[in-house]
Parts: sequence; C-alpha cells; structure tokens
Amino acid sequence: MPEVKPTTVASENPQTYEDVHVHAVYDEIAPHFSSTRYKPWPIIAAFLSSLPTGSVGVDLGTGNGKYLPLPSDRPGAVWTIGLDRSINLLKLAKRAGDVDREVVWGDVLDNPWRRGAFDYAISIATIHHLATPERRKVAVQRVLEAICPSHGRALIYVWAIEQDELSKRNIPTDADEDRRHTASTDQAKGQDVFVPWVLAQPAEAKPKTRRREKSGQARTPEPAEAGAEAQQAPPKVFNRYYHMFAKGELCELVADAAKELGLTLGDTSSGDVRETGQSSKEHGVQIVQDGWERSNYYVELRRWER
Amino acid sequence: MLLEACSLCYSVLYSSILAVLAGMVRLITHNLLACHAKGCTSNNFPLQFQDAAIELRDAEFNADFLRGFLPRIEWPALVGAARQLGDASLPAEQPEMLDDEFLQKLHHVLLEIHVEEGAMVCPNCKHVYPISNGIPNMLLAEHEIG
Ligand SMILES: C[S@@+](CC[C@H](N)C(=O)[O-])C[C@H]1O[C@@H](n2cnc3c(N)ncnc32)[C@H](O)[C@@H]1O
Ligand SMILES: [Zn+2]
Repeated sequence: MPEVKPTTVASENPQTYEDVHVHAVYDEIAPHFSSTRYKPWPIIAAFLSSLPTGSVGVDLGTGNGKYLPLPSDRPGAVWTIGLDRSINLLKLAKRAGDVDREVVWGDVLDNPWRRGAFDYAISIATIHHLATPERRKVAVQRVLEAICPSHGRALIYVWAIEQDELSKRNIPTDADEDRRHTASTDQAKGQDVFVPWVLAQPAEAKPKTRRREKSGQARTPEPAEAGAEAQQAPPKVFNRYYHMFAKGELCELVADAAKELGLTLGDTSSGDVRETGQSSKEHGVQIVQDGWERSNYYVELRRWER
Repeated sequence: MLLEACSLCYSVLYSSILAVLAGMVRLITHNLLACHAKGCTSNNFPLQFQDAAIELRDAEFNADFLRGFLPRIEWPALVGAARQLGDASLPAEQPEMLDDEFLQKLHHVLLEIHVEEGAMVCPNCKHVYPISNGIPNMLLAEHEIG
C-alpha cells in the first residue's frame, strides 16, 4: 500500500506548485477518482438537510458533485451550484445523481459571484490542497464572502493529521513529532504531504478483487490504494499535495480570515455592543460547531449582523 | 466475476458517456455570477450573453423551492437575461401574487433554458467568460486576478 510522504512546498510560486501537484492530478484521475466518491458524510448530509426549502448555495471544490443532489429526503428543495478547478471532474458533476446540475469552472481563491448571494456554502476536502497558510485563509474568506451577511451558513472540511483508526493510511511519524513540537507554541501547525494516487493503465488493467469500498463500510476519504492490484502495465502514480491540518488549526484559520474581513468572531451577543444610533451595522461570524469526523476536521459557521 | 470486478473500466466508459450529455448554464446560475476581474467592482453584474446557443430541457417543478428562492433573485437581471435569450414571459416587476401560472413561468426561465455554448461578457470591463459544453469558464489569468 502506498504511503503518505511528508513534503515541503519548495516553490516560489504556489500557483504553479498547485497546478502540478493538485490540478493536473485531478484532471488526469477524474473518472477513477469519481468512482470512489459517492458516499456523503453524515455531518454534511445533516447540514444540507437542515436548510430551509428555497435555499441556494455553492459547493466550493465540488469534485464529481457528490453533494449536489442532497438533501436526499427533500430532493430539489435547495439548489447547490458546484465550482471546481478540474474540468474533467465538473463534466461528471454536471450529471451528479443523473439530474442536470449547475457547475462553474473556477478557483476557490476567486470570487466570481455577487457578494453574499448565497444562503449557504460548503467546501469539502478542498482547502487542504492550497499550498500556503495565506492561500488557505483567502479560501476561507471567499466562503465567508459568498454567503449572505445576515444569515449565511457554511460548512468546511479539511484533512486532519489525526487519522481514523480504520484508516489504512500510514502517517509519517515525523508528523506526530512536528505536532508535539508545536503544541507548546500558540500556532497549530499542520503537515504538508504527498498522497499517492495509483492509477492502473486502463488498457492493461486487470483488477483482481472487488473494490473494498463497495461493501459500503465506513472508510477513509481518499482511497489511494485503489487499483494497486492491477497487473501487467506498471500503474501510474500521481502524488497529490495535501496540507494535513493540526488540531485547532482550522478554527484559527477561520478566526484570522474573519478578523481580516472585519467580522466579529462569536455569537450575536459577543464583543462590545455598539452604541445605538450608529448607522453602520456590525458584522460577525459564529462558529456553530467544530470537530473531527473520519480523519477530517470540520467547522460550521453562521454569519450575522446587528 | 470479471465484469463485477472491473469498476475502473466501467467508470471510464461511464464518464465518456456523461461528457456527451453534459448540460448547460441556466439563468439561476447567471443570476448569481458577477465579473471578478482585477479592479472590476462596480457595474460588474449582470453579465451579458453573447452568441448564446440555447436548448430547452424539462426540469422537475418545485413550487416551494421557487417561493423560497424568490427573495434571493436580482429580478431586473433575470428579466433582462431571459429577454436576451428570447423569453419575454416574466413581468418587469415581481408580482405580489405568486400564483401557479407565474411560478411555472419562473420555473421555466430559471431552470429549463440552458445555454450550451457562447459567452458571458462583463458590462463594465468587457471581460469575456466563455461557455463551453455548458460550463462557464470563470477562471482568470494570473494577472487578471484582483
Ligand atoms: C478531495 S476532492 C473533494 C471533492 C468533493 N468536495 C468531495 O468531497 O467529494 C478536492 C477537490 O478540490 C478541487 N480543488 C483543489 N484546489 C482547487 C482550487 N484552487 N480551486 C477549485 N477547486 C480546487 C479539486 O479539483 C478536487 O475536485
Ligand atoms: Zn468586469
């Protein structure tokens, strides 16, 4: 089984780095990748089920559009538009759940929307592909700017250093040391890694065994081992770049992103209530919940004004 | 056994079929997009359709969705875009009464008119966002990013 390898982003230009180690990879592995992505995670499904009918949202880094058909108990009650940088994944997302979906070829660092146009936004397993802390912060800001300042809700998932026990993934031990090392400092620090995706050459591939995830068992999000059984032609290995988040790092990122946008962090009662008579509104963002699920950290946000 | 095992080949085949079916930009999305080229922050909405090739396709009607979504719509932009695409069924002003006849028209305009090829052009800076295979390309070159 391929291992996760620690790496460092040694490039003057993070865009070029991501082009090579993220975007080119997804475009190449799209169909195979897509065949492994069909099971929504419970907290994301619950979030989408909790939205009022008529809500419109955006899925930033939609991939094959796995979340576009949700909520499954009320199909069509909300409308999620998918955005991604991989055109080959978007072509699949376009027909996610065998229904016409709306998708946009774009970058999560950009903001091709009317400000605050959406009732909700989700960004699942995407922001961890950005190669610098600054870029990850901008991506969180784009999420906050896309949703309505008075009631917009958001859900963000990123990959965690802390991996599920069920995960077959081999996390390099220096990641643990790294974490311990930084635990004493106030900045939570993640780990940059390469995660190999092994792609059997289609012509010669002869997978011997039925793929494990078809059994419907809970599994880790990124099955890098798929296709490893393929014989004959040597499989092609693509190294995807990930920043694995440390405990606390995602919430810190949200706090930094919010602060820079002039948003108060907390619920509507936090901070100093401004004097009445002041004309401009105060804007804020609340962390509704945060936690760890299946090798990922997540945070749910709600914007407010008063 | 072999057939069952070959989920990889199957998914490759499946995706090439889907690529042919791949759909289009609809007015629900157009109503949310805005130009984001460097320095373009005002009068950057709504984008104008150019050389639009359209196709009409039925979509599931959901009156509750439409009623809930209505307050989020930029109404004049929707009416204008529909007219650009040859549909003048919507009133210039949002009606007070949301009867079924109106909701059916709204449904058709928002969700059943697909722009497959063409472009969207910014009314302010004239940046052109191409639409190909129904997918709008909102990516900017590095020097165009704000
Ligand atoms: C692990 S996949 C997750 C897909 C989907 N959200 C899911 O959970 O199944 C990561 C996705 O992020 C996209 N992505 C990575 N960097 C991006 C960027 N800068 N802008 C837009 N999409 C990006 C990739 O193309 C890929 O589809
Ligand atoms: Zn413009």
